Amino acid sequence: MLRGFVNIPSDGLPYVLFSYAALVPWTFFTNSVAACGPSIMTNAEIIKKIALPREVFPLAAVAATAFDFFMSGIILAGMMIWFKVSVGLALLWLPVLTVLMITVSFAVGILIAALGTFRKDFIFATPFLTQAWLFVTPVIYPLSTVPEQWQSVYMLNPMVGVIEGFRNVLLKASPPPADALGMSIVVTAALLAISWPVFRWLSGYFADVL
Amino acid sequence: MIRIEGLWKRYGLPVPEILRRGWNLLTNRKTGSKAEDGPWALKDINLEIHKGETIGIVGRNGAGKSTLLKVLAGVTGPTRGRVEIHGRIFPMIELNAGLNMELTGRENVRLLGAVMGLSRREIESKLPEIEDFTELGAWFDRPVRMYSSGMLARLGFGVAVNIESEVILIDETFAVGDLKFQNKSLARVKELRESGATVLLVSHSLETLQFVARRGILLEEGSVVATGSALEAINAYETLVFRSEKERLEHRARSRITSEEANIYSARLYGDDGQTLTEIRSGAPFGIEVDLRLNRPLQRPMFSIGILNAQGILCKWNISQEDGLAEPGPPSRYLVRAWYPENYLMNGAYEIHFAVRDGASFETLERLAGVLSFAVIGPNRARGIVAGPCKWELLPIGDEVQSGDL
Repeated sequence: MLRGFVNIPSDGLPYVLFSYAALVPWTFFTNSVAACGPSIMTNAEIIKKIALPREVFPLAAVAATAFDFFMSGIILAGMMIWFKVSVGLALLWLPVLTVLMITVSFAVGILIAALGTFRKDFIFATPFLTQAWLFVTPVIYPLSTVPEQWQSVYMLNPMVGVIEGFRNVLLKASPPPADALGMSIVVTAALLAISWPVFRWLSGYFADVL
Repeated sequence: MIRIEGLWKRYGLPVPEILRRGWNLLTNRKTGSKAEDGPWALKDINLEIHKGETIGIVGRNGAGKSTLLKVLAGVTGPTRGRVEIHGRIFPMIELNAGLNMELTGRENVRLLGAVMGLSRREIESKLPEIEDFTELGAWFDRPVRMYSSGMLARLGFGVAVNIESEVILIDETFAVGDLKFQNKSLARVKELRESGATVLLVSHSLETLQFVARRGILLEEGSVVATGSALEAINAYETLVFRSEKERLEHRARSRITSEEANIYSARLYGDDGQTLTEIRSGAPFGIEVDLRLNRPLQRPMFSIGILNAQGILCKWNISQEDGLAEPGPPSRYLVRAWYPENYLMNGAYEIHFAVRDGASFETLERLAGVLSFAVIGPNRARGIVAGPCKWELLPIGDEVQSGDL
């Protein structure tokens, strides 16, 4: 549909498949971040009553979204069968990519959850954040359309590795692009290393503002 | 078991000074303005509580009792200072919080158990006991949104009460439920105490505290102002409440009937050396002196003093005419003194009502309720309205009980 207007190249694959394969993990990311944000505030009662590791609440939000992910995965599998896409051993990369996807979502989600409990603006801003993020991730367009000189900066976005990875593995029967994936893992680790301790520190004081 | 060192607590994030200065600069606020910081909820608390002790925490509203429990429970972090607790903590704060309306009673018990840190096996083994205690019957397996508030209370309490743990923090949760329930909960707390658990109890009910707690702590505006036995803490609490009441009563009486023919200026309590007292020891004689002026000559001025306790019950009422005061009163400034050589007032808080009447016409010239407040304190644990000697005897009798004399 959009392709008709804007003529986006899709690496030789049917556009429907091209975008849906990217949309499934992307939707997981967006939905889990959106669910993490209010997860602390919704459970204010329990937090004020007893001490427990507050990570439980965003984790539960992420886990709930994972269920939707698997459901969409089944639909994607159906589409792949319909389009007679051949797959190879590259499928073994799927668990790695899934774990990476969950970790990125968790890292971003807990940061928003922690900051959002103190300043609700962060939660209201979340949809805008993820919308903007969509445009710098190769979901509706392939990575190949990004100009060469910008590609290294572009790959700082951890979701690039995830999305291209899913596309390569599912549709092109090839392993994920090493540079994008490597960059993604490094950035995700850094992000987690910042957001988890921040969450930990702030979570001690959630009960004061809830 | 529990050690608190230099605990200061203020609600909100403990933002380091540098960040705060930076933020103030950015938002153009004057540095050092403490307007946005809340007041200190707890100031410099230092306590050490050993295993198996039961401590009662008393204080006025806003003194910081619930905050202290929350910090001990780990629900919120200290702003400064350290808290060290060994053992599983079980906070009985807001028992009904965290119930999911769509789940059944049984499922909610599992949920609450999991939240409190019990393993699946522990919860399953406790379920029959809890089901029994809550007495919910068939409702136990129906969704909780159908429960009445009494049933919700029983469910929350049932879970709370059947959990074993080493440290138990109770925040006035005895106020829920009917009398039978409150008795059950009191019995349970005693059982817990006997099993060696450390219990911290916050309560406004002084009787509960006396029965359950051995040590007591009085908190006022975030600081510990008294520690000692439970009784000492309760006495200190009552004196504190009185002192603050007195400051407010000094120039403002609760109700006045006045006809401008007499003016009451002030009143004080005095002891047998004539010195002003702030509180009276139980059994000690005391006197009340009222400073007033009569503006009209009275043939038979009549004064009456009523002593009311904290529940508003009139405990003692004396009329000067009945007690033998017969002097006439030309207009002048007077000190009226009433001396009580025998003090039969029980420990507690009291208030004085005073009236000036014309003995001839029984007309009330001036009457002031609450002209003075004071506390009677003493070592006795018993409460009640009337004090006085009581002689006890323990007479052994033979093994065959003779019922004939009853």
